[in-house]
Amino acid sequence: MRLGIDIGGTFTDIVYVGDDGEVATRKVLSSPDDYSRSIRESLPGMFDERAVSGAALREVIHGTTVATNAILEQRGANTALITTKGFRDVLELRRIRMPELYNWHWDKPPDLVERRLRFEVPERINAHGGVLTPLDHDAAASVIDQIASLGVESIAICLINSYVNPAHEELLARMIAERHPRISVSVSSEILREVKEYERTATTVVNAYVAPIVGRYVDSLSQSLRDLNVRAPLMIMQSNGGVMTARESSRRPVYMIESGPAAGVIAAHDLVSRQGIPNAITLDMGGTTAKASIIEDGALSTAAEYEVGSSLSLVSRLIKGGGHLIRVPAIDVAEVGAGGGSIAWLDEGQALNIGPHSAGASPGPVCYDQGGTETTNTDANLVLGYINPEGLVGGGLQLDRSKAQQCVERQIAAPLGMSLLEAAYGIHLLANSNMTRAVRAVSTERGRDVRNFALIAFGGAGPLHACEMGLALGMKEAVIPPYPGLFSAFGLLSADIEHHYVQTYFKKTREADLEQLNATINRIEKHIVGLLTSQGFSENEIDLHCYADMRYSGQSYELTIPVGSTRLSSDAIGRLEDAYDAEHEKTYGHKGGEGEDYTFVNFRLIGRVARKSSTVAPSQNGFKPRQAGRRQAYFGPDHGLVDTAVLSRGDLEADPREGPLLIDEYDSTTVVPPGCSAWVDAHGNIRIGLRAP
Amino acid sequence: MQATTTRRTGSHKADPITLGLIRNYLSSVADEMANTVIRTAYSTIVRDCMDFSTALCDKNGQTVAQGVTIPVHLGSVPTALGHTIKRFEGNIHPGDVFIMNDPFQGGIHIPDIFVFKPVFHENRLMGYSTAVSHHLDLGGRVPGSAACDNTEIFHDGLRIPPLKLYDRGVPSEAIFQLLEKNIRVPVQTLGDLRSNLSALRTGEKGLLSLAERYGLDDLEMYFAELLDYTEAMVRAEIRSWPDGEYTFTDYLDDDGVDAGEIAIEVKMTVEDDCLTVDFTGTSPQVKGGINSPYAFTISCCGYAVRSIMQADIPNTSGLFRPIRIIAPAGTILNPVMPAASGMRGVVGFRLADALFGALAKIVPHKIPAAGEGGNSLIIIGGYNRERKPFIMFDLIAGTWGARPNKDGIDGLTNPGSVISNIPVELMELDYPVRVEQYALTKDTGGAGKYRGGLAIARDWRYVGDGPANLTIRSDRREHTPYGLYGGHNGAPSWNIVNPGAEEERTLRTMVTDTLQPGDVIRHIQPGAGGWGEPLERDIESVEQDVLNDKVSIAKAEELYGVVIDDEKLTADRERTERERSARRSEAGQAQRSANGGVRR
Repeated sequence: MRLGIDIGGTFTDIVYVGDDGEVATRKVLSSPDDYSRSIRESLPGMFDERAVSGAALREVIHGTTVATNAILEQRGANTALITTKGFRDVLELRRIRMPELYNWHWDKPPDLVERRLRFEVPERINAHGGVLTPLDHDAAASVIDQIASLGVESIAICLINSYVNPAHEELLARMIAERHPRISVSVSSEILREVKEYERTATTVVNAYVAPIVGRYVDSLSQSLRDLNVRAPLMIMQSNGGVMTARESSRRPVYMIESGPAAGVIAAHDLVSRQGIPNAITLDMGGTTAKASIIEDGALSTAAEYEVGSSLSLVSRLIKGGGHLIRVPAIDVAEVGAGGGSIAWLDEGQALNIGPHSAGASPGPVCYDQGGTETTNTDANLVLGYINPEGLVGGGLQLDRSKAQQCVERQIAAPLGMSLLEAAYGIHLLANSNMTRAVRAVSTERGRDVRNFALIAFGGAGPLHACEMGLALGMKEAVIPPYPGLFSAFGLLSADIEHHYVQTYFKKTREADLEQLNATINRIEKHIVGLLTSQGFSENEIDLHCYADMRYSGQSYELTIPVGSTRLSSDAIGRLEDAYDAEHEKTYGHKGGEGEDYTFVNFRLIGRVARKSSTVAPSQNGFKPRQAGRRQAYFGPDHGLVDTAVLSRGDLEADPREGPLLIDEYDSTTVVPPGCSAWVDAHGNIRIGLRAP
Repeated sequence: MQATTTRRTGSHKADPITLGLIRNYLSSVADEMANTVIRTAYSTIVRDCMDFSTALCDKNGQTVAQGVTIPVHLGSVPTALGHTIKRFEGNIHPGDVFIMNDPFQGGIHIPDIFVFKPVFHENRLMGYSTAVSHHLDLGGRVPGSAACDNTEIFHDGLRIPPLKLYDRGVPSEAIFQLLEKNIRVPVQTLGDLRSNLSALRTGEKGLLSLAERYGLDDLEMYFAELLDYTEAMVRAEIRSWPDGEYTFTDYLDDDGVDAGEIAIEVKMTVEDDCLTVDFTGTSPQVKGGINSPYAFTISCCGYAVRSIMQADIPNTSGLFRPIRIIAPAGTILNPVMPAASGMRGVVGFRLADALFGALAKIVPHKIPAAGEGGNSLIIIGGYNRERKPFIMFDLIAGTWGARPNKDGIDGLTNPGSVISNIPVELMELDYPVRVEQYALTKDTGGAGKYRGGLAIARDWRYVGDGPANLTIRSDRREHTPYGLYGGHNGAPSWNIVNPGAEEERTLRTMVTDTLQPGDVIRHIQPGAGGWGEPLERDIESVEQDVLNDKVSIAKAEELYGVVIDDEKLTADRERTERERSARRSEAGQAQRSANGGVRR
């Protein structure tokens, strides 16, 4: 028996899978004052219903937004930073760039560690690891005591060039542990042993800022589970889609910041692996944002860095600077402000815009009739006839269609001189176009042609928009998994146990010393294997993958190339150079000139333990056919209002059925426009062939 | 045409939704182009500082989208491309790529090389994919090419008139060879050029996919609509300003060659929905290499006016239609042969400062006090023992003037130049330097109800094995960044060799000099201006500044009348109130007008 728990800002999703493959789900409101409460309160009922006890659970895997929320709401620990003399402001100066054109109102996000809590110590290491100025012991001791006297709960340490020689950082950490053992310490050379001082500082500071909060959260959740007689270890999903133990997550919480979005992509990855779909774009569209990621040749795409705490994020380096930079591997997810609750508005030039503001769950869209007054994407979808007017979640949430019509008419259609349906359709298309930006950020920006990718759409609003958006991008197939609204929680049950380590090895390839290189890789390998065996896994369960970050000498950005083995042979370097040429050409359309030099930047090692039990796929069981109905739905000026068949997932068969169709479910509606056709596969996925009429 | 691949655009009338879709798409393509440059470029100035720009233009050379890149580049694209189109009229073919940098034919200074790729859809010209990068070195007198004491264009390096770098797909061996032999670090410069060409292909692909989706006829109509739409929004904004004439003069300390201040004098005339920007009265062109080529002048005007308008106006050439710019030939803002212009950036920034000063009289609630006045350039270059060249090109930016409703931001690029900094650790790996300080400097932000941003300081220790050439471009030591409405000016800038040592010496703001191994050069940027009376600053903000060591206890009292208890580091409210009311009554109106900047 296995349990997946996905705690989000609004809802907590629990998925239980029995040994017989039986699936039970719960969607309950989250309890932000104490996130573990909603779990404590819902699990006993679920156990009773199935007549099982907590002791029978083999695995509990958890995805959480606790760390993200601590940052967004600025509720992290009181944190101090210790840096090298002369570099107190590295954190505040960031990469100095503002991420927007022409905006005097812009502001940097507030620093997680204010200047008064950033302290310098006299010491200096040069770019090659040599000590220029030894750490001044007395000065360091007095800085540490001063920090402690200010009631600081957590300290980040980041010294210049510590990535090449961490001795001074380690010494400082030992001094803190001796003098003030209760203070949490995050050391940059342990968190991210990589060149570039701002990136390393920012990452270490985020870790320090959330470490005490995550520690307490994990303790409380573990205790609640023990109280329910659960003996399986609590595992936490990391931003990169692997899981780690709860204990490790409280030491290196910066690795689990994007735990929630990662779960959805993992679920999609599991789905495409089973279906043999090599290339896919995932689209997770919820109430406030839409998140896109890419799966290529069956592999997830990871980003080396991203930002947390900006109102919205895109992978693009160009617009970075709005949040707190974290340089740890994460599933490459681009996020834009286009969700069900996104608000549609007209600017002064009478152009239609949508988002990034969302009506959220409260007051919600106008049609919820809970006080919302601004037209949202959901209102438009209701006006268009896409959403079941009888209500969401099986009628649990009533919708007022006439209120939706009034607001679209008054706020959008009338000022633009358009008809009600044209305006609603415009909102729908514009939401698609915003999401297109997220999709492009993870695909075309890296030279990938999305037309060869399938679109996996989920989240409450994903299935409403999947087809039109896929068509706009020239994609050929959309896939809507079962339980689209709970899909991310299923993803938790598909994850491997995974640890990532990186070590900077900055050298031209032709100057690389094979022996030294192998020794470096060997050292990280030992570390990872040690970590995993200490967690109770045996060595032969561990799968190791080695990667090299490389660039042409002189470039500033790396591409990551698989190394193949953790022991390099003499011809390995030449093969890596060829592989780099090929990847560069694939990504940017050209490779280096003749006689080009290559540089190694980092070596990365991933230690992975495959999940023990087989994947649980929600089966087609339980999707019963129901009486087909009909609804008037609008599909653009070429088709107008069409009397459209309404069915359930269980009504679909393996033979494609021509659109237009509306497939109503408990937590979403799938819209199949004219020209497209839908069928259902053996695993209960709705498969839609996208074809412009 | 293209009816089969066109969806939902049967009519030849622009609809706002399609317009929005096309606009989004164009911007994301321009950003993709920029990402291509960043990820594949070689020089720190392009890949780390991001001193480059990308844009897409229609077939007439009008900009229809910009990447999130350097605003003061972007406005020059239509001028530079315009000269190129004129030169090659009737001789523009698929597979061509144009190259140019000539400041006297639409360029903006020698180091900025423009490349343009005409994009053809089914043999019909539909637009241009464009990129411009600041290249590390194009030969000339000193490493890095640009220097304030270059006194003629020929010192600035290789001058490239509009030429075909590719003719119908065939690369021009002649140009590539000439380039390679006339520049100091060809690996980096040619690598950067390749990254720009790669970006052009990204842009071309994007334009073509739009043509396929909408059909070229419809697309051309939408391009025109996008330009009209920008124009309409800009006109609406100008119409909301009070009619009248508004003047302002700002100054540069000197040009690095001759002594004496240089005036940038502007008169802005608002007449209904039109704006005239007249620089008559501005100083004549100077000997030093800071003259602003006409295309750059236009671009900087566009940046200043655009930046105070609402954020969601599409960034197209439509901006310039309601604006008339008068820059008399032979002035520093429209120089003639043989003016050198490699370091003209500083004049462009001062021009923008002058415009903001005038705008502060038109729309006072929108205009911040003066920022740092443009990024500073520090170039250390030479040859190492093996006679291999190195050029460390560092750009130090920037800090913001106080805004009418909040403080200036401490340490953030000037919005005219959204560059990035170079990580210290990378710099130490790549160049014979060690950075010993990179920090904000206490007490340098202009006092005010809202405080100006603090100055950034950086120290480089040169650790190479022979003497190196040092070039610095900075300004604002005599004429410091202005405060507004009672706000004080920011602190002056400094260049100091070996600070604190016996052989310490202070260098001028614009200088070419020599560093010996072991020498330290410290550059402190100017602080930014404050906004409003310092005595009106709320006490908590002053307390916070003292706690964060951004304002000293002494200056808190001297400038803000806030008396800080130096044990508790909190304000003594009672003494502060007494101090402030005493000063208010004695100073009154006199202080307000003495602070320079704009009077009410």
